[in-house]
Amino acid sequence: MAEPIRAEHSAADNDFEAIVRRHQAMVYSIALRFLAEPAAAEELAQDVFLQLHANLKQLQSDEHLKFWLRKVTAHRCIDFQRRRRLPLLSLDDAPELAAPGQMEDVLLSDRLRELVASLPEKARMVVILRYQEEMGPEEIARALAMPVATVKSHLQRSLAVLREKITRVLGEVSL
Amino acid sequence: MSRLDDELKRALRRAEAPPGFADHVLARVVRENRTRQAAISGWRQFFTRPILRLATAAALSTALVAGGAYYRHAQMEKAQRAEGEAAKQQLMLALRIASTKLHLARSKVNDVSDGNQNRHEKE
Amino acid sequence: MRRIAWFLILLCASVVARTQDLKIPPNIEKLSAKAKETVEVTMDAPMLRWASKFLSADDPEEQKAAKLVANLKGIYVRSYEFDDEGAYSSEDVETLRSQVRGPNWTRVVGVRSQRDGENVDVFFRLENDKMAGIIVIAAERKELTFVNIVGPLEVDQLADLSGEFGIPKLNAREVSKASKGERK
Repeated sequence: MAEPIRAEHSAADNDFEAIVRRHQAMVYSIALRFLAEPAAAEELAQDVFLQLHANLKQLQSDEHLKFWLRKVTAHRCIDFQRRRRLPLLSLDDAPELAAPGQMEDVLLSDRLRELVASLPEKARMVVILRYQEEMGPEEIARALAMPVATVKSHLQRSLAVLREKITRVLGEVSL
Repeated sequence: MSRLDDELKRALRRAEAPPGFADHVLARVVRENRTRQAAISGWRQFFTRPILRLATAAALSTALVAGGAYYRHAQMEKAQRAEGEAAKQQLMLALRIASTKLHLARSKVNDVSDGNQNRHEKE
Repeated sequence: MRRIAWFLILLCASVVARTQDLKIPPNIEKLSAKAKETVEVTMDAPMLRWASKFLSADDPEEQKAAKLVANLKGIYVRSYEFDDEGAYSSEDVETLRSQVRGPNWTRVVGVRSQRDGENVDVFFRLENDKMAGIIVIAAERKELTFVNIVGPLEVDQLADLSGEFGIPKLNAREVSKASKGERK
């Protein structure tokens, strides 16, 4: 049973601090993987928690809180990206990986993060929520307010493109 | 589960929030609370005094009614002025045309008079 | 019996009013379809009063206009400018002239110019030897204009009318003299 969130003023403040500490990595990471800019990610994550503080009374359980934080972070990230008006890429336009050579795991992770960060907004957020937060397609669909079929389609297409681009560079590595 | 899934999970694992993140958030909350409280208490103090409350309600109602009436009057006056200006332009145009044609008539009469006078002088 | 008498009086009054209220013949109104530029101004007494309120006290030309229209009952203008000659017929002009037949109308100017093809007629409406209206019909090669000013006009005002608004003054005495000699 999820722990209810207390909403009294002083208690809520104490609770709020605990909530921030408990969920800061989740919120910050979603923003960081999506925006690929630590400073922008930190500011956006702070904004999410400020919004949470104003809406704390409406949240009934820790599960609800977690869902709310993921949902608000995801929407704020997409809005932020749109406001920045960066050129959007289609999946096929995602950059090729640079030097092949000996690919270590760390380097592979860096390359994958670069590739994910270059995906179109919604596809990128779907991949982040799926692989960082390990959310199922239904939960992602609810958070992003899109049909489950669309979530699955984004996932399939994104994975296909990522696999193709990684394989093209690594050649012999089977993904 | 393919290797790509594993690699993606590893690549997209959660990162630690920057040091002092929670403190920064709490500081912002306190700052925003103070600003909001100051604004709210100012208004609350103002509205909790009965006379001021009545006076404010009366002033607001009067301002709303007067504002609405003034707006309607201003809109009506604006429309009437535009119609009046258009009518004035029509009137001036009509007078200019009348004036031009009367002048034409006069110049024709003068031409005929001058012609007759010249003929008489020759005779 | 008294009702019938009142009806007859009202009927007569209405007929008299209508004779003052000249109609623009339909064949003239149709000319606007062929015209390059058309000016149609129809201002009755209330409209004139209304428009006068917006004449500026600071503008001498508008002040003259205000005095001129103060007692007028209407101003009606139809002016058509055509691209080519022959866009209107002599019958069209004749229908306009036929509007101003009657004992109260006097033609004070009637010019027919073969040389430049410009024909101008000016008619005065006189009531008790006072001017009660003026009609100008100007038929030029590419332009046909009909102006009907209804209401009392002083000779000085007529001079103003032809002298203001950017053109030289019409000689008021000439017109006055002509009006005495050419009553139809």
